[in-house]
Amino acid sequence: MTAGTLSRVRRPARPMSLWRLEWLRLTRTPRAIALAAVFLFIGLIEPVVTRYLRDIVGRLSHGARIPLPLPSPADGLNSYVSEVTLVGLIVVVAVAAGALTFDTRAGISTFLRTRVSSMTRLVLPRFAVTAAAAAVAYLLGTLGAWYETSVLLGSLPVGGVLAGIGCGAVYMMFAVAVTALAASLARSAIGTVGTALAILIVIPIAGSIHAIANWLPSALVNAPVELVGSEHLAHFIPSLAVTAAASAAAVWFAVFRLARREA
Amino acid sequence: MTAQGQRVLPQPARAGPQPEPIVATSGLTRDYGGVGLFDVSLLVPRGIVYGLVGLNGAGKTTLLSLLSGLRKPDRGTIRLGVARGRVAVCPDVSEFDPWLTAAEAVDLARSLVAPHLARDAVDAALETAGLADAAGRAVGGFSRGMTQRLGLACALVGDPDLLILDEPTSALDPAGRAEMLAQVAAMRGRRTVIFSSHILADVQRIADQVGILRDGRLLYQGGMQELIDTYLTPAWLVRIAGDPSEVMNAAARQPWATRVQLTEPGVIRIEATGIEAGERGVPAVIAGCRARLVSFDPADADLESAFLALTGAEKRAAT
Repeated sequence: MTAGTLSRVRRPARPMSLWRLEWLRLTRTPRAIALAAVFLFIGLIEPVVTRYLRDIVGRLSHGARIPLPLPSPADGLNSYVSEVTLVGLIVVVAVAAGALTFDTRAGISTFLRTRVSSMTRLVLPRFAVTAAAAAVAYLLGTLGAWYETSVLLGSLPVGGVLAGIGCGAVYMMFAVAVTALAASLARSAIGTVGTALAILIVIPIAGSIHAIANWLPSALVNAPVELVGSEHLAHFIPSLAVTAAASAAAVWFAVFRLARREA
Repeated sequence: MTAQGQRVLPQPARAGPQPEPIVATSGLTRDYGGVGLFDVSLLVPRGIVYGLVGLNGAGKTTLLSLLSGLRKPDRGTIRLGVARGRVAVCPDVSEFDPWLTAAEAVDLARSLVAPHLARDAVDAALETAGLADAAGRAVGGFSRGMTQRLGLACALVGDPDLLILDEPTSALDPAGRAEMLAQVAAMRGRRTVIFSSHILADVQRIADQVGILRDGRLLYQGGMQELIDTYLTPAWLVRIAGDPSEVMNAAARQPWATRVQLTEPGVIRIEATGIEAGERGVPAVIAGCRARLVSFDPADADLESAFLALTGAEKRAAT
């Protein structure tokens, strides 16, 4: 083989690694755009809906008077949080499942499992990059909601919003960790999404038990709204600690199970 | 034949200690409820091309998956004479994330198995697999044959000592198949190749040794020629110009001739008790009759015939 023949080969601009693979997975597929678009859209639209809800209801009620209170700035953020907790979470889980269910395709599973000596090395980039992307999407969406709320409904306390973004981002990381756990329990992407969403839905139900409500990850869902109100970040320290520990445990368990699974 | 029904042919005597085999399994069993792999004791010498043949469902892919570490045996042991990281596996259906370029896929393989190698190794592997011109193309647009060649490039980039190929030619056109077989044959001596195939002509063309699986059991392993010699009745096809009856009568009188028949006008099939007896005897008979010889060829001396003879014989023995 000559230098001439080799010069025809167009090698990648940057060396590949499992971390770069996940970055390319986000940026070369609609995943990153989908995440950012969904959170930003909700962030920009929900405060508008909240602001004009009275007018919308008035036009649709055909003369009937339905008294609605004047929306507050916290209502704008609350509306955003309610939507991303449902729609945004489904998108995050779907994107995470796409990255973490590498055993669904036998050829890819063989490629990875015969080359990667440690399952931690394989799972960690998939978890971390997806969790970071979900956190960034949450940040973008909240910044959008913050801006719209400030323009249409009034200002929000900076410290409270930033603390709320932190809590929401930690919850998104937890959702990705739960998806990793689900990927080790189910083989298909659909099964993984279903299992992860089932777990994420059951946890808030457990939160109806008052004694443990403040310790559960689900306490972080509404933290952004409560933090622009009267609550302080210290109130969410227990749930932050439990969520971080549960996320680590979920990823560890996923690694444990995936390492023992046959391709 | 061993207790497990595995034939082990006598190996030629060699001076000095035998080199350690690169793969040695003992009683390897993976039972999927009556089907799978049973009591397979495989022995693959270092540096050879080893062909694994069998019908669909014979256990080839299960055996290769066990050797690759992708599955675990229910019983038995696998001893590799090489570090696990020096083993490369190429599945029958290679798959890659479709948004990766060919060069990125191979570079990913390099980063995982041989990060110490310069990225020139990627270029060389793509060149070897015939994909240099497609290096910058997204894998999603590749044909099945190109994807299979990319799988080979990913396997070769780490310069493995043991290469396991599952049906490497199944998706290739005739030219690609010939190219792939030539590449595998050229690896002989530099690395050990174990490959499975249901195309027996491919195995016969490049394999030094062959293992025959049927219903999860290893019926035979050993040299290709020994297999053919052992399981095929030695036979020759003799084409004579003119009347063949004199040659037929003369051949039928020979003590080494077990069967003489006219298969088509002017063509006599002569079966013998042994290869050497036939190879010496048939020309002598023709010469003795002063017959006009057109051609003299061994009949059906191929792996397919041996495979059918062996598996048929085993089936008859089982019933």
